[in-house]
Amino acid sequence: MEEKLHIDWLTVGLYIIIVMFGAVNIYSANNTLEHHFLFDFKMEYGKQIIWMSASALIVFLVLLTDFKFFNYSAYGIYVVVILLLIVLLATGSFNKGAQAWFKIGAFKLQPSEFAKYATGLALAKFLGTYVIKFEGKRNMGICFAIIFFPMLLTLAQNDTGSALVFLSFILVLFREGLSGWWLILGFYLVLIFVLTILYPSLYIIIGLLLILTFIIFMYKKHKQLIVASILVVTLSVGFILSLDFVFTSILKPHQQQRILVTLNQDVEEYYANKTNGFSFFKVELPKKEDKMKSKRDYSYNVRQSKISIGAGQWIGNGFNNGTQTKAKLVPEQHTDFIFCTVGEEYGFIGSVLFIGLYLFFIGRIFYLAERQKNTFSRVFGYSTGSIILFHFFINIGMAMGLLPVIGIPLPFMSYGGSSLISFSLMLFTFLKLDANRVNELSRFS
Amino acid sequence: MEKSNKFLLIIIFLIGIGIIFSIRLYFLQIVDSSNYYKAQAYGSNEITLNPPRGTILDRFGNLMVYNDALYDLMVVPDKTLETDKYTLSKFLNIDTINFDKRLKKAARYNSRQASIFYKNLPFEMLTSLQEIIHQFPAFYIESKIDRRYNIQGAAHLLGYLGEASEKIVVEQPYYKPGDILGISGMEKSYEFYLRGKKGRRVVLVDKFSRQQGSFAGGKFDSVPIPGQNIFSSVDIDLQRFGEQLLGNKIGSIVAIEPKTGEILSIVNSPNYDPNLLVGQERNKNFARLLIDPSKPLFNRALKAPYPPGSTFKLVQALIGLQEGIIEPSTTFPCAGGYRMGSLTVGCHAHASPLDLENSIKNSCNAYYCHVYRAILDNPKYGSVQVAYKKWTEYLLSFGIGVKTGIDLPEESKGIIKHNDYFVKVFGKNWRSANVVSMSIGQGEVGLTPLQMANVAAIIANKGWFITPHVVKSIGDSYFVPTEFKEKRYTMIDAKHFDTIISGMSMVTKPGGTAGRTGIEGIDICAKTGTAQNPHGKDHSIYIAFAPRENPQIAICVMVENGGFGATFAAPIANLMIEHYLVKDKKAPSTRLDLYNRMITTSLLENSVYNPK
Repeated sequence: MEEKLHIDWLTVGLYIIIVMFGAVNIYSANNTLEHHFLFDFKMEYGKQIIWMSASALIVFLVLLTDFKFFNYSAYGIYVVVILLLIVLLATGSFNKGAQAWFKIGAFKLQPSEFAKYATGLALAKFLGTYVIKFEGKRNMGICFAIIFFPMLLTLAQNDTGSALVFLSFILVLFREGLSGWWLILGFYLVLIFVLTILYPSLYIIIGLLLILTFIIFMYKKHKQLIVASILVVTLSVGFILSLDFVFTSILKPHQQQRILVTLNQDVEEYYANKTNGFSFFKVELPKKEDKMKSKRDYSYNVRQSKISIGAGQWIGNGFNNGTQTKAKLVPEQHTDFIFCTVGEEYGFIGSVLFIGLYLFFIGRIFYLAERQKNTFSRVFGYSTGSIILFHFFINIGMAMGLLPVIGIPLPFMSYGGSSLISFSLMLFTFLKLDANRVNELSRFS
Repeated sequence: MEKSNKFLLIIIFLIGIGIIFSIRLYFLQIVDSSNYYKAQAYGSNEITLNPPRGTILDRFGNLMVYNDALYDLMVVPDKTLETDKYTLSKFLNIDTINFDKRLKKAARYNSRQASIFYKNLPFEMLTSLQEIIHQFPAFYIESKIDRRYNIQGAAHLLGYLGEASEKIVVEQPYYKPGDILGISGMEKSYEFYLRGKKGRRVVLVDKFSRQQGSFAGGKFDSVPIPGQNIFSSVDIDLQRFGEQLLGNKIGSIVAIEPKTGEILSIVNSPNYDPNLLVGQERNKNFARLLIDPSKPLFNRALKAPYPPGSTFKLVQALIGLQEGIIEPSTTFPCAGGYRMGSLTVGCHAHASPLDLENSIKNSCNAYYCHVYRAILDNPKYGSVQVAYKKWTEYLLSFGIGVKTGIDLPEESKGIIKHNDYFVKVFGKNWRSANVVSMSIGQGEVGLTPLQMANVAAIIANKGWFITPHVVKSIGDSYFVPTEFKEKRYTMIDAKHFDTIISGMSMVTKPGGTAGRTGIEGIDICAKTGTAQNPHGKDHSIYIAFAPRENPQIAICVMVENGGFGATFAAPIANLMIEHYLVKDKKAPSTRLDLYNRMITTSLLENSVYNPK
């Protein structure tokens, strides 16, 4: 039978627009006045064109591949990527403090980018298997294992940002049946975390105990509620203490400072307070060079990023005219801080349109995922959407100074071969699956 | 929860993110617009572009002051990792240890920005370096401008440059600390024209303050406007000649073109080479000049009031004529001086009595004592005090006792005392006899050489002068300030000058006080002066103009402690006149002996300034 390509052209169109817009912004971020050439393959935007061509080739290959291939080889791909991560851990070369690259000639391959893809496939394969649902301890355990194994390996490479991305699979699990309470618990823990960092732990514990007393006093009759409350507060206190311990004793100074900077804390003042007996654990003061590093790297990056975006005002400076962009005032602007260029050169109107477009793109992926008739495609679609959403949320939130500086790229926009190719691969794998949804039902279920 | 509800929840979550991000963007980009201004401050840097300073030329277009380029070798220490130290240090004639030391010094200052590695590259080093410098990307050659003077003298006329003081920076916002501007001489008085207009370039800078190109497409940039060239009225050749003649002596020469008021030369001795006050050695040299006991920085021609001596008799005669006290034919007796009770003003041997013409020719003291007392005791004014006031008004109209208004900074107005001074010294009813020494230019009167030269110009013009000035024209449009075109009339009628001029003409003819220094073929009208002073031997003074018809040059020569006016001042002035008027400027062959005697004689031995 002649296969007709039922690909979702709307998503493809959005993809092309975002990738092109990314290249334009990389060009602008690169194109300081020292470099006037339109195509300079030594510059990042020139290389990005190569990556775009490579992605196009991959996309073409994916579209040529039989859609069944992804289902059949899901575990295989997963195992290969896990092996790659392990090999990388053993032999990987150093890069920016994160041991995350394979150097193959002039190219650097970042397996963790492909690990998300493989994990998505593996998770989809597992949940897509006949009769398996996201229910029961064993199945849930296997799902979490599939997710956390590559996540821990990535974390072991010091690539915290990429490791955190695996948390986006929680959203997939939520769709597949994970209780909403887990998400609420997650938010609660984040709240406690932030409060613990911001205020002396003692105050928070006292506050929690006051609330507990209030609940016991008000709801004397509801024994269940009282028991649950006592349990939550006890666990919270334990969490606070362990958090305090982890934050002060296990996290490295630069990690502490990233978090502090995001929470708008003065690093030195914070440490001064911490050592004044507010904390249950003694803090080892960061060394002088670490302090310098933090000032230069984290608060500096975020401040420059915010200034750049702020410089855009209503309509921005226009393409290739960003003053801050041209002055190279934002570090890593072509990769993790690519949104600064958008903010500065296209202003509020352009940025909001861009964010709207991007969210529409993500929403479209979720919409396509939702309309899948088999679990494999749906889970993989949700994985794709969730990962892109997580990247988008963290990356833009970081550029705006809303979230800590976590070095993860903006999919399809940031410079980087591994990122662009792996996201293209993921997206078009899903689009290929989607294109074949009409004849899937009979074959898989 | 229904599964499709969960999808809806996710979509709501997406919309929520969109709203939160938009609000954040609204605050960052619209509300908190101060970020934008901060962005500008962070991202841009203003660079001042200094225009080339105008040059100064003499009246015939010969270059006197110009700009010279100096070259420094600059280095950006951060880029030096792969530099071939050995080759470069060989080109610079330094060893590698010295090389490292210089590099370290530059790196200490700022390792990312350029600093000077080798100052003032010698020319031969420069040319060889220019060929190989491209091999050393961390190094480049930067040129800067320094002032050069084509003459080893004329320092007081041309002036020097210096850094803007704090006071100037506060008063004149055009200047920023470290700016160079004219501190004295023409450099100062024509600063406005010479400096041009600074341009500016606003450049983008990155986080390391490295330039990244122009800001906002060059919207705020402006091109520097070069300074205007100035034609000075000075004749550089005459100036050099005067400096030669006055060498080894202390004094000054001022020569003016009478009909234009243009200064032809303004010589001071001691003088100094203006090239001393540029470049690296400037401060050291300046300190040396400042403590030199002969005061080379002192502009005698403009700032030192001298007793004019007998040259002042011309002014007295003119005032007497105008006041109707005397006529050309008026005679006064002289028996070796003027006696008045115990007071005697001595005179030298000459025929008696003398008329006005001959009183000038012979410089009779007694004649002018009579004239001056008659002026002051004129019954027309009722009292000496009123008559004296009238007399000072005459002087003021000659530019005496008042600044002439020359276009050079720091001019002295000379010395003219007023009534209250004499009241203090001689009492309320002081008499003409009290001040009789002023009749012959001694006592309470002092003129700068410039004022004396101006008197000569006034006589040459028969009653008027134009404010003496050293500028001939400014810029490409040959602009001349209007104040240097206006005739200023004295209170003396033109008809009174003929007798004076013919008397002055007789001075340089045989029998006159400067008869032996006269020049054949040129009718020089002059007056000698010998001024007693508390500093030692008499000052030798001479004012003159020539030729008698259609005068081209008026001059004053003042030689401190030079003795009689005819001894030094007269020969020097007459040589100057000859040099200027005889356009065929070969060596002053006709009077080589006089010339040689003038340039070889040193008066420094007798001088109080002699450091020995």
